[in-house]
Amino acid sequence: MAVIHRALFTWFTTLDFLIFLVLKLDGKINWNWFLIFIPLWVFDAVVVIYLTVNMIIHCKNGYDRNHSDLSLRRKGWFLACAVLKMVFQVLLCLKLQYVQSLSLYFVMIPFWILATGAAGDIFKGLVLINRR
Amino acid sequence: MFFTLQELVRWLRMTAFELWLHAVSVLVFSILAVLKYEQDLAVSWWVVFIPLFTCDGLSAYFCVIVLIRQYMEHDIKVASVRFLTSGLSLVLLFLFKLLLCQRLSAQRDISVSEVMGPMFVLLQIIMVRACRVH
Repeated sequence: MAVIHRALFTWFTTLDFLIFLVLKLDGKINWNWFLIFIPLWVFDAVVVIYLTVNMIIHCKNGYDRNHSDLSLRRKGWFLACAVLKMVFQVLLCLKLQYVQSLSLYFVMIPFWILATGAAGDIFKGLVLINRR
Repeated sequence: MFFTLQELVRWLRMTAFELWLHAVSVLVFSILAVLKYEQDLAVSWWVVFIPLFTCDGLSAYFCVIVLIRQYMEHDIKVASVRFLTSGLSLVLLFLFKLLLCQRLSAQRDISVSEVMGPMFVLLQIIMVRACRVH
């Protein structure tokens, strides 16, 4: 997928999710929280399938099919991020819909790991940009 | 996850430093917000939002520095276009955070759709930027 397709797909799912979220929080719809998160489930499914296929082709050919400098290890990190995001969303939906007594600390653990990793990753990228 | 850092910079028209600032501020804010929600931190929502407002302040400062440098190195047109596009995104983000803070601290009776208003405008800008990515 080209960058424009990925960007527009991300934009579309985010917009849909925000619309559902606003409707739910304003009390206009009374849907289950798992249904409110449908746009994000679709996004996660596409990301996981895209990365898995990409990694399989990378393993088979020994190089990236788009000729980018993304290593297999880095793609593995991206996949781990997607899984962490999904775990966080499942825990959040469970807390909001079924288990209100669930501690928010427990729910936020995957998010904190993801956010720390993302901040570290961007910082690493920042250092590499400045070195060039 | 779905984008490399270079792709994100090209799409969102933000520098890597600004993206890093936002990531760190959201991380610190989430920790403070959870502490406040679980009643382990007895402070107002304004204090919890300090990391986010600090990030906006630093981004605005960075934006002005870039404006001055671009004006000195290029011309006023390039500098002002960059300043206006980044400034607009920053103002919309700041407005969203301000309205959210006011709603959470029950200072104003505003609906969630009003709070999300600036985000919907920002999303349209991001969509236009996505269409221009190649």
